[in-house]
Amino acid sequence: MKNLYLPITVDHIARVEGKGGAEIIVGDEGVKEVRLNIIEGPRFFEAITIGKKLDEALAVYPRICSFCSAAHKLTAVEAAEKAIGFEPREEIQALREVLYIGDMIESHALHLYLLVLPDYLGYSNPLKMVDEYRKEIGIALDLKNLGSWMMDELGARAIHQENVVLGGFGKLPGRATLEKMKRRLQEALPKAEYTFELFSKLEQYEEVEGPITHLAVKPRGDLYGIYGDHIKASDGNEFPSEDYKEHIREFVVEHSFAKHSHYHGEPFMVGAISRVVNNAPLLYGRAKELYKSHRELLRPTNPFANNLAQALELVYFTERAIDLIDEALAKWPIRPRDEVEMRDGFGVSTTEAPRGILVYALQVKDGRVAYADIITPTAFNLAMMEVHVRMMAEKHYNDDPERLKYLAEMVVRAYDPCISCSVHVARL
Amino acid sequence: MEEKKIRIGFYALTSCYGCQLQLAMMDELLQLLPRAEIVCWYMLERDSYEDEPVDIAFIEGSVSTEEEVELVKRIRENAKIVVAVGSCAVQGGVQSWEKDKSLEELWKTVYGDGKVKFEPKMAEPVENYIKVDYRIYGCPPEKKDFLYAIGTFLVGSWPEDIDYPVCVECRLKGHPCILIEKGEPCLGPITRAGCDARCPGFGVACIGCRGAIGYDVAWFDSLARTFKEKGLTKEEILERMKMFNAYNPKLEEMVEKIFQEVEE
Repeated sequence: MKNLYLPITVDHIARVEGKGGAEIIVGDEGVKEVRLNIIEGPRFFEAITIGKKLDEALAVYPRICSFCSAAHKLTAVEAAEKAIGFEPREEIQALREVLYIGDMIESHALHLYLLVLPDYLGYSNPLKMVDEYRKEIGIALDLKNLGSWMMDELGARAIHQENVVLGGFGKLPGRATLEKMKRRLQEALPKAEYTFELFSKLEQYEEVEGPITHLAVKPRGDLYGIYGDHIKASDGNEFPSEDYKEHIREFVVEHSFAKHSHYHGEPFMVGAISRVVNNAPLLYGRAKELYKSHRELLRPTNPFANNLAQALELVYFTERAIDLIDEALAKWPIRPRDEVEMRDGFGVSTTEAPRGILVYALQVKDGRVAYADIITPTAFNLAMMEVHVRMMAEKHYNDDPERLKYLAEMVVRAYDPCISCSVHVARL
Repeated sequence: MEEKKIRIGFYALTSCYGCQLQLAMMDELLQLLPRAEIVCWYMLERDSYEDEPVDIAFIEGSVSTEEEVELVKRIRENAKIVVAVGSCAVQGGVQSWEKDKSLEELWKTVYGDGKVKFEPKMAEPVENYIKVDYRIYGCPPEKKDFLYAIGTFLVGSWPEDIDYPVCVECRLKGHPCILIEKGEPCLGPITRAGCDARCPGFGVACIGCRGAIGYDVAWFDSLARTFKEKGLTKEEILERMKMFNAYNPKLEEMVEKIFQEVEE
């Protein structure tokens, strides 16, 4: 059988973090193959940190990704602390979560306004929107600035936060700074709500409507949040984080420097919508009301709902950070750091990075990393992403190839993929 | 008469995308727009063209695949000025930390027997393949590094490198010395300044993310001597100094010297 069709390719998917392309091969009987080529080079983070001193490895791990460096730092530090048998005080844990939320706010704001919105408004880049959408760009910058400032104050900087160390923080901001952070978060709340309203009006393409299995971390303390020790699936299954390998299998595919993952043999999804699907009953405050009134749009069957779920989280995490700061202030003054004792051990941390479950498994021996396994949300999502790009292609392969490319890119962007993260790459 | 816009391209090799993110996050970028045309910047611009001529090419990331070797050569041909941005492009980045191990070994640890259709290679600085005209240091660079570089380019001038260490800024800020007072392996004495001693200001030892000071004034040997006196082994010293300096031609030789002296 001859195939005279040329593959429809996007060499480099724009407005995502990292380098990847899409390839759609159409034959006489429709779409034959869909591949997301992950062309960013391999970075061997686990291999290069094995045998290294724990604190130095912890300084290197966040460099897997800039968009979620706080997520990598905090998850790696938690896995390391679990490995050596150290538990941070509650107030330190609260402030670490505030830092994590800074990352969440910045990352979601950047993704929604700068990477996603231009498609809907017909712009090739967000900077071109400035004249006509001054208000939206203003809100994007305000939210992004708030998130980065929270990371500056608590993490030393917005990208690669050196201030998080074993045992706590290098230094903590003063009480006045935390009170100011609370005020700024309160001022940001209406902007987060505006973002939700804006994104609730955008189209979610029915071409990709279908069943999806969602995985998310089961939050600690029964409040919608970032940290947890169990993983919950939308099929009703729940398992301790340490057992992740029994349920999730990783494998190498030849068109990608990032591995693919299957949950019980099938592709699955992680991310904001997966958190909402699994943990919506744990929401509170304004976000809970918005969820109730927009349930229809936050449905588990469409990857585009991830955009709106991120907007919902902007509202939720803004309120949540205020409460966490109050918790910390109630215990003021806070000692930034406790002495840690180096002991041998193994620790697994699973947290919710902006794009979904992030796994760090670290074995520590004689103060050095003896084993490291890191699995990132994008590596979890890649197989499912290919499924959804295929669904889009099956509906549009007869259309103008430019239109198909556009729609395929939009599917990928809805996942907010972090390609740099995905090629770090996980150990077998 | 309308001023001719300066054509800029931002290109990514293998990296965490942090340098681009730092630039994209700068509100000041909006002020640059009337004077600049973005020819290529995939992270923000869908209409990006990798093979178009530009006035300034900013490159972030280390060269980590054979495809990227070809890409940097094409960028050089198309650009008047090439700027290597951030520790990956300038020094090879943290992914060069184990550059002395074989690629096969690293590959096997991570991918096992799995094969990928692209050709990986050991991460290297951009300068190993093409001429670089200017460097912006840091992991990530500070916002003011971008402002200074772009500002000077726009007025037709040339940004200058900093030739003094983080220690200078740390002293001026009045932070306690992490190396002397706390005995931690701070790399401030050999690391290029410009961060306002950010990490020592938070009580965290410098890991050298801006790379070693240039002009042959990185005193690896005297710092190694201090580390040695504090009880670090040669391997520990090299490991720490190589996080962001694995390709520095002076490093091994100078650290080696300290340990040879003792044996004699």
